[in-house]
Amino acid sequence: MKNKYRGYYVLPLSFALFWALSTPLTSQNGSPPLSGIVSDAKGPLGGVNIIVKNSARGTQSDLDGHYEIAAQRSDTVVFSYLGYKTQEIAVGRGSILNITMQPDATALDAVVINAGYYKVSDKEKTGSISRITAKEIENQPVQNPLAAMQGRMPGIHITQNSGVPGSGFEVRIRGKNSIAAGNNPLYVVDGVPYTINTLGATTVASSIIALSDINPLNSLDPNNIESIEVLKDADATAIYGSRGANGVVLITTKSGKNGDTKLTVRALSGLASITRKLDLLNTEQYLAMRREAFANDGYTEYPVTAYDLNGTWQTNRYTDWQEELIGGTAYTNNVQATLTGGNAQTSFLLSGGYYKETTVFPGDFKYGKGTVHAKMDHSSPNEKLKVSFSANYAADKNELPGADLSLQAKNLPPNAPALYDSEGNLNWENGTWENPLAILNGEYTNSTNSLIANTVLSYKLFERLQLQTSLGYTDNRLEEDRTSPNTIYNPDWGLDSGFSSIYLNSAHRSSWIVEPQINWEQPLGQGLLKILAGATFQQQTADILTKFGSGFPSNNLIHNLGAASYILAFADRHTDYRYEAIYGRVNYNWKEKYILNLTGRHDGSSRFGPDNRFANFAAVGVAWLYSDEPFVKNNLPFLSFGKLRGSYGSSGNDQIGDYGYLDTYSTTGVPYNGNIGISPTQLYNPNYGWEINEKFEIGLETAFFKNRLQLNANYYDNRSSNQLTGIPLPGTTGFGNIQANLNATVQNYGWEFSLVSNNLNSEVFKWTTSFNISLPKNKLLEFPNLEQSTYRNSYVIGEPITIRKVYHVLGVNPETGIFEFEDYNNDGVISAPDDKQMVVDMAPKYYGGLENVLSYKNLRLDIFFQFNKQKASNNFFYGNTPGTMANQTTEVLDRWQQPGDEATMQMFTSGDNPEAVLAFSHYGESDGSISDAPFVRLKNVALTYTLPESVLKGMDCRVYMQGQNVFTITKFNGGDPERVSGFLPPLRQVAMGVELSL
Amino acid sequence: MKRLQLIRNRLLNTPKIQFVGFVILLVLLGGCEDFLEVEFPEDRLTGTVVFNNEATANAALADIYNKLRDNTLLTGTNQGLSVLMGLYSDELDYYGSPGNAAYNFYNHTVIPSNSAVASLWNDSYNVIYSANAIIEGLEKSKELTQEQKEPLLGEALFLRAMVHFHLYTLFGDIPYITTTDYKVNSAVHRMDWDRVYSLLLDDLSNAKNFLPDSYPYGERIRPNRYVAATLLSKVYLYAEEWGKAETESSTILDGSGIYVWEENLDLVFQKESSTAIWQLKPSTAGSNTLEAQSFVVLSLPPSNVALSNGFVGSFEPNDLRREKWIGELSDGIETVYFPNKYKEVDFTGETLEYAVVFRLAELYLIRAEARAQQSSILGAVQDLNKIRSRAGLSGTTADSKEALLDAVLEERKHELFTEQGQRWFDLKRTNSATTVLGPIKPGWKATDILLPIPENELSLNPNLQPQNPGY
Repeated sequence: MKNKYRGYYVLPLSFALFWALSTPLTSQNGSPPLSGIVSDAKGPLGGVNIIVKNSARGTQSDLDGHYEIAAQRSDTVVFSYLGYKTQEIAVGRGSILNITMQPDATALDAVVINAGYYKVSDKEKTGSISRITAKEIENQPVQNPLAAMQGRMPGIHITQNSGVPGSGFEVRIRGKNSIAAGNNPLYVVDGVPYTINTLGATTVASSIIALSDINPLNSLDPNNIESIEVLKDADATAIYGSRGANGVVLITTKSGKNGDTKLTVRALSGLASITRKLDLLNTEQYLAMRREAFANDGYTEYPVTAYDLNGTWQTNRYTDWQEELIGGTAYTNNVQATLTGGNAQTSFLLSGGYYKETTVFPGDFKYGKGTVHAKMDHSSPNEKLKVSFSANYAADKNELPGADLSLQAKNLPPNAPALYDSEGNLNWENGTWENPLAILNGEYTNSTNSLIANTVLSYKLFERLQLQTSLGYTDNRLEEDRTSPNTIYNPDWGLDSGFSSIYLNSAHRSSWIVEPQINWEQPLGQGLLKILAGATFQQQTADILTKFGSGFPSNNLIHNLGAASYILAFADRHTDYRYEAIYGRVNYNWKEKYILNLTGRHDGSSRFGPDNRFANFAAVGVAWLYSDEPFVKNNLPFLSFGKLRGSYGSSGNDQIGDYGYLDTYSTTGVPYNGNIGISPTQLYNPNYGWEINEKFEIGLETAFFKNRLQLNANYYDNRSSNQLTGIPLPGTTGFGNIQANLNATVQNYGWEFSLVSNNLNSEVFKWTTSFNISLPKNKLLEFPNLEQSTYRNSYVIGEPITIRKVYHVLGVNPETGIFEFEDYNNDGVISAPDDKQMVVDMAPKYYGGLENVLSYKNLRLDIFFQFNKQKASNNFFYGNTPGTMANQTTEVLDRWQQPGDEATMQMFTSGDNPEAVLAFSHYGESDGSISDAPFVRLKNVALTYTLPESVLKGMDCRVYMQGQNVFTITKFNGGDPERVSGFLPPLRQVAMGVELSL
Repeated sequence: MKRLQLIRNRLLNTPKIQFVGFVILLVLLGGCEDFLEVEFPEDRLTGTVVFNNEATANAALADIYNKLRDNTLLTGTNQGLSVLMGLYSDELDYYGSPGNAAYNFYNHTVIPSNSAVASLWNDSYNVIYSANAIIEGLEKSKELTQEQKEPLLGEALFLRAMVHFHLYTLFGDIPYITTTDYKVNSAVHRMDWDRVYSLLLDDLSNAKNFLPDSYPYGERIRPNRYVAATLLSKVYLYAEEWGKAETESSTILDGSGIYVWEENLDLVFQKESSTAIWQLKPSTAGSNTLEAQSFVVLSLPPSNVALSNGFVGSFEPNDLRREKWIGELSDGIETVYFPNKYKEVDFTGETLEYAVVFRLAELYLIRAEARAQQSSILGAVQDLNKIRSRAGLSGTTADSKEALLDAVLEERKHELFTEQGQRWFDLKRTNSATTVLGPIKPGWKATDILLPIPENELSLNPNLQPQNPGY
């Protein structure tokens, strides 16, 4: 070890020493001692803050609840503790004062928020943190926790990639910060950073799993989650330093409880189907389109390849291909058993679950997942030593078709032949079509095993000093393969199993993390000072081996790579990522009215070249609880809580590949004359460094009428600079891009509002309404020499970085019947990039959710609407030219037929009118292929009935009905407004379940 | 003893002492920067290591041949010249999906965002980058001797010239890239033929100097001096340097002592072909060419491409190539013809066919044309008849310069069909594309003579403006 580190400590060290030597400490005071025991209903309560009002004296109760403090008879002593009502007691006579603390269920400070390295009450937090808890999660019949977050948290926009089980999500916290590096937040599960980048290989998975995103969070059963906190502003994220730029998602799993051993069993079964079908042409309309197309192109006789028209296929057939290929019903089943219990020292939770989901595709495909969750908390009788252990293990298996059939469902002519012939074999109709079910002879399978484990050891060395170490381990394994047996091809081609092939990928990623931490608490003046310091050491290694085999003696041996006559290893990659940091927090809470929170981190990452590895991030947060000021209390009695808070600081982003700074050659696995080829891995740049995100936020939190109405408003302004990107380069450089820091600034700013109203709160009938809305804005502020840079056709200064630059369609020329476009450069030709000048922003304008929870006696109804205003690509986006042999939506019926027609769609062409084909290909890249796609979705509805205790003695029983994506109101004409082009849209689910505890 | 314990307790309970402890612990938390020193990745090599060893330098070259065979320019797949330019000219009809970029080549609706155009360009420059990295790496290498370096340098220079030559024929003026420096390469300008031509001559004459006469690995799968000379004769032909084209081709035809004329049409595309000058070897034992997989039609209707009826009908009666090199499949109603120079679609116990890039017949036709242009009628007729007699045809009746040039062009059509787009480049360089293709391709425009520069390329490097006319 080199002694390089000392320098980091100069600041905190000198600050600490100065403070230690200059501050008078309480026990040196001359006042007579006051002592006693603080307890609650269960027994002695340690850690209660005890302050002599209007003095600098303060202490905390020890683990036996005992305290001692110097106080005069005239003094008033204040006892406060998170989640309990604060009590002020005049000392009076006597030197012993025992006190019982009362839990405070309604107060905001009863809500304890996980801020990652520390916990804070909702009342005293200075940062911007959103959360959802088990209460919201368990109402939703979803299998990935990210799905449960959709629409419920302001500032957090989540889109599901596909309705295929096991696929991923796009999560954006306060917009897109980075032009090209990752925009994913940091995920931390029970204190352990958890990489959610997919281990899937494009060559294996991309045809069925959108973006090959096999989301590792699938390994968490949402029912095991206690809360999900999302850290948004600088105050909350700076302590995560280089990984906090895009926000931090903290997932906390459930813990055991002190009490009798309790077994809870949940079972849920449901049905799922696609949310919306496209309005496609029927056979009559389709054939009319095709005939018109050939007539337009001057054909008098249909060519041999026009099978749909020339008599090769029956012209009176009609198949609803959407119904046939993606219109099935998927079944979901979920069973979970949880055992909890414990005593004052030890509590535990053990839970096991099984989830199964079939697909909407024809054929026997399914996803199955088993999860185990264990958590144990222990403290020594004197409460000095505390141990907490948690482990989540999941194994899942996903068996899917080799390709998503959504595209075929849209494109197949409605009079395409029958799927099966009279003998029940796949019908190839003499080789005139590709039977869409043939692809089902190939299968995609993945299985993952994942483990997240964490142990936290803490020891209270002295009264004010606590030592803690968190040890975490994660392990992810993925095995996936996709088979292409010869039976996916037309048997007339005479291909045997020598043509069968398989793609395989096995990937493994594991990481360990050690985070020692020390905490110090000290009453200071009329307040409390908390200092936290810690360090992080993390290592993550990943191995990926992607293989291909072909030529099998029999298809039964296709999973035996040893039987392949040709085997190729595409990729065998090993990466090692190391990360180290020290972090700290200084929090001072003066009179419980003025709070200052300083956080910072010194970070180093191996993803950067040796000279650019370290950087510093810091933030300051302040809060003023103005509702505690006398003038507010006296003049605004209806205001029960008011806090103004603000923060400013920085965090960073290191989401780029490993080793980008090295000049390397990689092996290709392909031999030439027995010599395996090696090729330059990339253009290399040893000089790039961190991306910096500076965040500013101001927030107002208020509650009225005894907290019955709560209203929060945030304004934020984040600026990302030193953009770490693969800068696109022209092909003449040999590669598409190079990793470098781009001197550009992206701003994300906007408002977030949330409102909670307890409309009715009687014993029998309760009604709560929650509403949240986010109004995000994104802007490219600076981009030196944009016009000369490689980005000039992607971005415009002053516009969002989520724009697309496209052709602007002027409509169909009534004379020629062909689309016309704005000729921006007036050169008489429509061509890119000069004529792609229309700017369309694809990011949401606003989004949010509205929830109503109604309960009447034992019946509870949750209704949650999600809304979103944004644009989306419609079916013409890089679509098939209308008139060619592919089905279209009924929108094409309003087409041009003869000179003088005013129509929205140009003339049909069979593909032989080059001008029309060209114009349509421009249309596919124009604003005509982008539509408004605002929607309001009944995202979740849950009806829960708790059986009266009198019915089941000693047993709790709840029955419920839940629906997800129940219906969607939208004017979007391209199917589900959230779908990713070419993939299955999110599914509608309806489920019924029962929960029993004894 | 008890007193000591008391003192200790008092000390430890003193907040100031506790705080000093806190500070000491704080310092102990520290890390050290060595922790971040990750191991060099085991799955790759550094640039300098590659060129300190002959085997790894050879592996870098092997990668280029793999790319040319599998996905770049010379490949027999739908990304290569043989299919794309066959469709673009009058050789092939397209039967595949209209969504495929190849369809636009067939019906002449190529636009600057066409993906096949982008890959022709980008993949070619990627290969050029690799060649430049090899040239620079070898020049810097201190471990390899000059004798070890020279043949490798010769191959890299030849490859750089070969790819640039094809890019010029496709796109017109192009940047000729001779460095790996991305700062230079991202702002390059297009160069006109004079500049490209002189760089081609430089690279090829260096390549000829460095390359040995014999093939490095026995088989004709890595270039020797004559491979570079073949390309040079082709460059002279395109430059209309007739004298030089004749001389250069003669050095191979008359002076090599390696190549032997083969009368049997069945053997021309076999791997042991004695007329092959440069072949690409399949990646694994038992596999054959991608050309066979693209062209051979196994069932009707064809799944990808087939020969156009017009093309098949243009053969003279009794032309053996019509019988030997063209396959046909009929379902009783319709007959489809397909290129059958390569016959092996399946794995065979031992590989039977290699993809031929250069072969002797082309050199005879180059020399015939060069001689005709110089009005050296007798020599031209001799060379042309060499080809014709092997095809079972009588000697040519052409006896004037013009008639001979037409006859050579016609002979090239039937000899070199579906080989790296030779037909298209012949139509282009003889200015006959509009005459030939105009009547049969409804989408044909005179400006189709050049492909468009890829859309992305123009936007990323404005120095490449203007776009080729018509796009």
